[in-house]
Amino acid sequence: MYKIFKNTLPGLALLGLVLGGCQPELEAPKADKGSADFSKYVAVGNSLTAGYQSGGLSNASQANSYPAMLAMQFKKVGGGDFVQPSFKAGQENGSGYLSLAGFNANGTPRLVPVTTSLAYTGQQLPSGQNQLTAYEGAQPNNLGVPGISVISSVSALTGGLAPYGAINPFFNRLLSGTEVLTTDYLTYIGRATPTFFTFWLGNNDVLTYATNGGVASATNPFSGLSDTTRFGIGYRALLGTISKNGTVKGAVANIPGVTALPYFTTVRVAAINASIKANPALPNAALAGLYITTGKGEVRAATASDLLVLTSTSVIGTPSTDANNPFPVGVGYAPTQSNPLPSQYVLDADEISAITTRTAQLNSIIAKSARQYKQPLVDMATLFTGISANGIATNGVTNTTSFISGNLFSLDGVHPTPRGYAVVANEFIRVINQTYGASVPFLNPNEYPGIPLP
Amino acid sequence: MKLKSLLLVGGALLSGSAASAGGFQVSLAGIKNNGMGGVGTGLALDQAAMFYNPGALAMVRERGVQIGANATFARQSFRGQFGSEERTLRNSVVTPFSLFAGFGPAEGKWKAGIAVYTPFGSKLQYADGWEGRFALTDIDLKSIFVQPTVSYALTENLSVGVGVAVLAYGAVNLQRDIPAQNAQGQFGHVELDGKAENKVGFNAGIYFKPSEKLSVGVSYRSKIDATVKGGDVTFSNLSAAATPSFRATEFDVTIPLPATTTIGIGLMPTEKLTLALDVNHVQWSQYRSLDFKFNNNVGGAGITSSSSKRFYEDALTFRLGGQYALTDAFTVRAGGAYDMSPVKDGYVTPETPDANRVSGTLGVSYKAGEHFSVDVSTQFVSLAKRTQTQSDLLNNGTTDRVAGTYKTNIVIPGIGFNYNF
Repeated sequence: MYKIFKNTLPGLALLGLVLGGCQPELEAPKADKGSADFSKYVAVGNSLTAGYQSGGLSNASQANSYPAMLAMQFKKVGGGDFVQPSFKAGQENGSGYLSLAGFNANGTPRLVPVTTSLAYTGQQLPSGQNQLTAYEGAQPNNLGVPGISVISSVSALTGGLAPYGAINPFFNRLLSGTEVLTTDYLTYIGRATPTFFTFWLGNNDVLTYATNGGVASATNPFSGLSDTTRFGIGYRALLGTISKNGTVKGAVANIPGVTALPYFTTVRVAAINASIKANPALPNAALAGLYITTGKGEVRAATASDLLVLTSTSVIGTPSTDANNPFPVGVGYAPTQSNPLPSQYVLDADEISAITTRTAQLNSIIAKSARQYKQPLVDMATLFTGISANGIATNGVTNTTSFISGNLFSLDGVHPTPRGYAVVANEFIRVINQTYGASVPFLNPNEYPGIPLP
Repeated sequence: MKLKSLLLVGGALLSGSAASAGGFQVSLAGIKNNGMGGVGTGLALDQAAMFYNPGALAMVRERGVQIGANATFARQSFRGQFGSEERTLRNSVVTPFSLFAGFGPAEGKWKAGIAVYTPFGSKLQYADGWEGRFALTDIDLKSIFVQPTVSYALTENLSVGVGVAVLAYGAVNLQRDIPAQNAQGQFGHVELDGKAENKVGFNAGIYFKPSEKLSVGVSYRSKIDATVKGGDVTFSNLSAAATPSFRATEFDVTIPLPATTTIGIGLMPTEKLTLALDVNHVQWSQYRSLDFKFNNNVGGAGITSSSSKRFYEDALTFRLGGQYALTDAFTVRAGGAYDMSPVKDGYVTPETPDANRVSGTLGVSYKAGEHFSVDVSTQFVSLAKRTQTQSDLLNNGTTDRVAGTYKTNIVIPGIGFNYNF
């Protein structure tokens, strides 16, 4: 026996050595900037670029914006630092945002606003909006301004009559006191000197109107559907400015169809009708149904082609405030026997059609302008059409556009979650890699939060 | 009495690993065979013939007991297409184990025996937080077969044999994360744990030795469906809001352990030298999908089942090996195998991160006296680097798994003890 061990021991020692060297190594994937130069990356855009989510902008949401994610990946191929217009210490929660406190018995979420560590000054802007504390650092790399549209970015398009710095608190906070009435977004982004940029504007030229149920607000001159003429002039001016007339490399994203957002797809006419017909408090409930006021002022029964906005659940079924109208809000038996849902809570079929047509027109202007300034188009419209049909699967998880459970859209039903922004960033990376022969590594969207459930 | 206690020890140690053959097949029965690239169907080497070719058992001269154990060290690297880090396994060692005991008259025409072995198994523990965590975090698949065997020499040159292969013990443990976060940001986790029902199949073979220098064999092991009924489902880290969607407590699943046909040839050019070639054909095409049924919700109201595509293909393994008797006491062995993966491109799953395999083996035996001998073997298995892209997954509708590149190496030292009487 001793001999056996004597003979096998050297073998066992050799085996130990072999095991140590057995772990395979996979070559790190090539990370290369290609023909692009990411040393100074600047992001131009609206709320999506700023990192707005769940109805607000905070330091945490900025950190999970797609430009921040892109900058992180760009850093792996020689990108530089990326400065966010963050809120001061003690005011980290910025504008405040919605959080999910739980679910009501009927399955609807209980959304509660975060009210601590906010960044409001206590003053109001001339537009009546609450003012946010000023950002005092150097011009940031993330130039995203929540709420901004193309035609609100260029003051010449409104004859200088509606200075946007006096309307929008998110733009207001980026400007110094003397600039508020004189500096438009076009001028503001003209100060940036990027070596690479992303440009995603135009969403609010249709979205503001859509989320307001197709009702333009009297107090906001930028709340209608933007006309194509002014949009084209503004878009070319903005893109020409940031790209220095097409000499700086970048990527340009277009407008996803807004009607596929959970904001419009979560509350369904059929479900509301069913709950009205099942309401024991209504006489002859089986004959009742949801009635709406259309954009043209007509009162009619809602159909499956009308889209109800997410916030409509807070008014549908509430008691009538009109002493002469006995019906709860939205309930009716005939156009003349109803308390129709106000137009701002519903996109009727005509409004949907107008929005869809306008979105397509603006996207064709975007595509044309991108070509004019030698920029690749990141086709977010096609990406999100696909996602709303099939979801998007990464690493064994299929994320969808369903409200809350889909994990891609935040609690406001319009803006992505961090995970949704990672999907957006991956699409930018795909196009950038393809266009500039770069190999910027992709993100794993599942590493970013969707909607944590209480 | 002695046999029984050996079996008990074996039961405590037994487990398999997706180590030495395609899919989750494990061919680590005899330590002598292990040293020769896993050949054996065309040979009548020792009691392990009960596994490789029951027909050859009648031609094995010695009667005796043989126990063998292997230690499987699998080392893997993974890089996700959507993920930056290189991931390695939480390394574990598994120890497939075998026992063969043969009886019969020394000069008689028949032999009988009992074999205990682990033809299928897999154990993998992936890195914490790896990209594929929502497909799999841990798998431990075990099977133990007990096979009473008889073999009869029809003529001096031709023998047949058959064994009743009993799936005596089978266990499956699968764990993965659930893509739903609780308020602390933790992802949910599910563990499926169950025991397989006992099943019976057979293992049969024919062995023909027309001359001193040539032998051939054919063997067939039947398919057995490993069926788990009423296995335990345990969820953890779920938020209160998500709990109603995950109420299952029991699961059913069937995993096919496919039929295997082997043809083997042995050449004995001199008394001291033996060469052998085996070709295995495994009917992996029987594994089409992995379907779980649950007794309540898994992921939403009314969702009580899951199905994941496999569509494995039948696979061949080519094995070549030889042994040379250096002295009366020492015999050395070497061999190699090429093992084609049953898993098609786009269908690679974390539970079987399979690829074509090349292996090289070495072995040595030392005979200490008339009754006792010890065998040592080592196998080095290299799985080809395998990449599947997101578009492969989308094209095949297999987005329930992860896009990326796997590379695995395995080292399997083994030791066996023989006592002949």
